[in-house]
Order: sequence, then C-alpha cells, then structure tokens
Amino acid sequence: MHIPDYYEFCCRVNIVTDHHALEKIPELLLSMGAKNPMVLTDKGVQAAGLIDIVIGAIDNKLSIKTIEDQVPPDSDLKIVNRLACVYHEKGCDAIIAVGGGSVLDTAKGINILVSEQAQDLMQFTGAGVLKQKLKPLIAVPTTAGTGSEVTSVAVIADHEKNLKMLFTSPFLLPDTAIIDPRMTLTLPPHITAATAMDAMAHAVEAYVMLSKNPLSDAHAIEAIKLICHHLVRVIKQPSDKKGRLALATAATMAGIAFSNSTVGMVHALGHSMGSVCHLPHGNCMAILLPYGLEYNLHKVEDEIAELLLPLAGEEIYACTPQKNRALKAIACIRELNQILNKATGGTHPICFKNIKDKQGNFLVTKKMLPEIARTAMGDGTIFYNPEDLDYEDCLMTIQAAWEGIPLDRSKIKQG
Amino acid sequence: METFIEIKPGRKPFQRIYLGIMLWFVGKAIQAAARVDNEVKKEFKGMPANYTFSLGAFPNGPYMIVGKDDKEKVRYLGSNISKHHVDLEITLKSMKNLFVLFTFRESTPIANSRDRMIVNGDLPQACAAVRILDIVQVYLLPKPLAKLAIKRYPRWSLKRHTVDRLMVLIRTITGI
Repeated sequence: MHIPDYYEFCCRVNIVTDHHALEKIPELLLSMGAKNPMVLTDKGVQAAGLIDIVIGAIDNKLSIKTIEDQVPPDSDLKIVNRLACVYHEKGCDAIIAVGGGSVLDTAKGINILVSEQAQDLMQFTGAGVLKQKLKPLIAVPTTAGTGSEVTSVAVIADHEKNLKMLFTSPFLLPDTAIIDPRMTLTLPPHITAATAMDAMAHAVEAYVMLSKNPLSDAHAIEAIKLICHHLVRVIKQPSDKKGRLALATAATMAGIAFSNSTVGMVHALGHSMGSVCHLPHGNCMAILLPYGLEYNLHKVEDEIAELLLPLAGEEIYACTPQKNRALKAIACIRELNQILNKATGGTHPICFKNIKDKQGNFLVTKKMLPEIARTAMGDGTIFYNPEDLDYEDCLMTIQAAWEGIPLDRSKIKQG
Repeated sequence: METFIEIKPGRKPFQRIYLGIMLWFVGKAIQAAARVDNEVKKEFKGMPANYTFSLGAFPNGPYMIVGKDDKEKVRYLGSNISKHHVDLEITLKSMKNLFVLFTFRESTPIANSRDRMIVNGDLPQACAAVRILDIVQVYLLPKPLAKLAIKRYPRWSLKRHTVDRLMVLIRTITGI
C-alpha cells in the first residue's frame, strides 16, 4: 500500500443513508437550529415528482418558505445572485438542495452569499477564502454519480464572461447528505449507467492519481466493488431498491475518495469534451476512463493491477498473472461499457463518434478534437495525473476515444 | 502566573539566502526563455497583457515575480511582492516546503499533490505558468536533477538542448 509522507483527509458531512432517509430531514434541520428552509431544485427534478416525495417526507414539520426550481443545467452566477435575494426576502434560514451537481453547486454559491452577507460572489473564488461556517445546508442527490454532496468544491459559471469559477473550502461541505434510493428510482437506464460510470471514474482516478492516500483508497475500492456488483442488475431491473441504494452509496464513497485524493486526465479531457461539445459528463467519463488508465499504465501499473480485484472479483484476480492484471483491469472497464451499451439498447456510448443528439446529428466531429485538446491543457486536474500531458498527448488520446480503438501505447512519450 | 517567553521560529538565514538566489535565477531564466524558446513564448502569448505571476513561500517569502507588459515583453520584476499587483500567486505553504522543492527532494507535481501549494488566480493561466516553470527547470538543471523536479523529461531537439540552453543561460546571467 502506498502511504504518502503527508496527506490530508476531511469529510465532515453527516451522511444519512436509508430507504426512508428523507423523513429524517426535519429532525436534522431542527437540530441545527433552522426551521425555515429554502428548497432548491431544477425543473427536471420537479417534473419527475421528486420534490413531492421530499415535501411529503417533511410532512409540515418545517416551514418551507419557498421552492425554487430555476436552477439551469450549468450553475449560473446570475441565478445564484437572484436566489440569494429570494432567500433573504422570504426569511429563510437553511437550504435543502434536491438535485444533481448543478443544483448542489448553486446551493453552495447561495450559501456563501447569504452567510457572508455579501453581494459579489467573485470575492470568494479560489481556495480557502471562506473563514467561517455557513448556514445549514442539506444535500439530497438525485443522481448516483457526482458525489457533490460530500465535496468541498463548487463550480459556478459566469456565462456573460464565459468563465467557470471554482470555489474550494471545507466550509462548502454540506452539513448533511441524505442518501435515499427513492430519489434515483425513476432514473432511466442510460442515465443510471452514465452517472454510475461517473462515480466509477471518480473512484478509479482517486485510486491511481498522485494524491492518493490510504483513506481515499479504502473509499475508492469499496465504491468500485459496489458499482460492479449492482450496476448491471439495476439497469436490468430499475425498481431494485437495494441496488439503487448501493449505487447511491457508491457515488457518495467515490465522492469522498476523489475529494480527498484527486481526479486526473480523464476528468481534464472530460471537462473539455463537456464544454466544447456539451456532452453529458457521465458519458465522457465512461468512454475516457480506459484510455486514461492506458495512458498512465507505465507509471502506475501496480495500482491499476490492484483495481482488478474490486472490478472482477477474487476468482479472476487470482487466475490472472500479476503482469497481466493491469491490462485485464482496463479490459474489464471496456467490457462493462459494452454490457451497458447492450443493456441500454445502444444508448450508453462506447466511443465519441457514435454520440448523436435527438435529431440524429453527431455531437462530436473530428474537427472539434484539436479545440478539445487545447481546452484540456488549461484544466487544473491535469496536474495530478501521474504522467505528463502536452497538447499532442491529449489529442492522441481523444482521437483514439473518438474512434473507439485502444490507445497505441508505443506512441506514449516516456521521460 | 508566570510570564512565558514567546518562542519565535528561527529565521533560517541559510534557507532564505539559498531560496532568494534560486528564485532570482528562475525569474531571470523565465525572462530569458521567453526570448529564446518558442514554447515559452507561446505560453506567454496566451496570457493577457500586463499579466504577472509570482512564486514564493507563505507568509514572508521569499518571492519572485514575473510579468509581461503591454508590449508583450516578459520581465523578471524582482522579489518585492508588495510593490506589484500579482494576477496569479503560486505559494508554497511554508519556506520549508519551498526549500524541499528547490533542493529537488520533492517534485513540483508531488508538492502540489501533497497539498503544499496554494494557487490563487485563474486556473488555465496557472497551468501555463507551471508548464513555463517546467521548461525553465529543464534549461537550468542537469538531466538527473531535472528528472527529479518534473514529471517527464522532454525529448527536445539537439538545437534546443544545446544552442537554446546556452542562450538561456547567457541571457539569465547577463540579464540581456
């Protein structure tokens, strides 16, 4: 086991996991001295009827001041500013954020403004600017993937300036995360697959990147095990409540793992794919994950080999010679993508050239690849990748991922 | 109650002098590489006019500041951080961390992954600044030391390894 000379691990979130965890919200919020929450969500979550379930679970034990469902798919500075004003106007004293990464990031942004009594969110960008505890925030994730409910980071976009602002502080960690499988029960199979592969990418990257540590490793390994054991079953039987709870738990564990280790080139390339081509993040992660491992293989072969155990189980691990385990682990992830592709009727993509929008247009063309590679060079996660990456390396990797062919490892530069 | 004497940490004069010299050298070398090396020129071209960045140790330095003016000329701006507006600050959490880094016992990526650095500023520019620092380290250091400082020793052309390196070293020392 790799034990670094120095590492930090922090997860102060109270994680409440149960088939009826939502019913605990009033008790938890009252114990924090708050009873007038703002419920924050997006239109998709509202339309899926999930807010009705949350409100039903709260059962008039709290005085909900307002339900705001205006959060866009990409968290937005203007919305944060506007909703902070609504928070004050309605006399709220806490936030219950019900949704995916964007809703949770928006909630964190609002919480900064209302807790600091500030007007300008820009003054809190960067790391460690916040110096005091914020107002109570309860996170209720509705996808089993992002792990935002246990991360100390928020990304909020200023669409006017075309900027994404990063906020990092332990004070951004929600007070409580509510993991209730009712929130993910209605997710369609292709979204279940994409979000679970997002969690898988968090766990796998947390395990092989430079900032790994024994505590993040433990969370990462368990998350991978849970995903491998339950994902395909849940895709085939979406009403499997135990499986849903296991996937939600895995996503939270993967979130804890990567926020205390880091992610690397898979996320650097995935973020760029998302910003240039507007692809769903989970799909990018699923496709890029085996390529990221192939690229780093010569630097972290032992770590990748260790992943074979949670990915494939004891029997396959024991039957595979040590020197083949890393490649077998990568093959297992590719195989999982193939199974998911088949199980979702082809909607879970296995390469970028096949991804189409609802009108049947290709979302990623070969012409876009150089811009994606250039954008990735400005992504901070690239620092934590074990092997260095330049523009040509990024381009080579996404070209292979676009075609759906394995990376030609003889072309990877080694120092 | 007895009065306790406050124990102040040692000033570590040797470390401070060593780091001051190293930072001066790196700062001057960035200025030189920006005139000689195409990759460094390209990285600076991507930065806005009058952009400045610093590298140093929290809380009292030492620091080095590099910036480019509105005529795209890159200059080493000295070590006094209070005299300049700095757009991007790359700060090691202590002088000891910076000393470990500059004695090549820990590479920049490892220092970063062990949470020893604070980066304050725009992230894409921070990535560019780190790439510039990597290139400059390859110019300044012999290969075995450079390999300890960066992730991957680059495969450069013979001209870049010899002529360009010599030019960077001459310009660093003479300040031309």
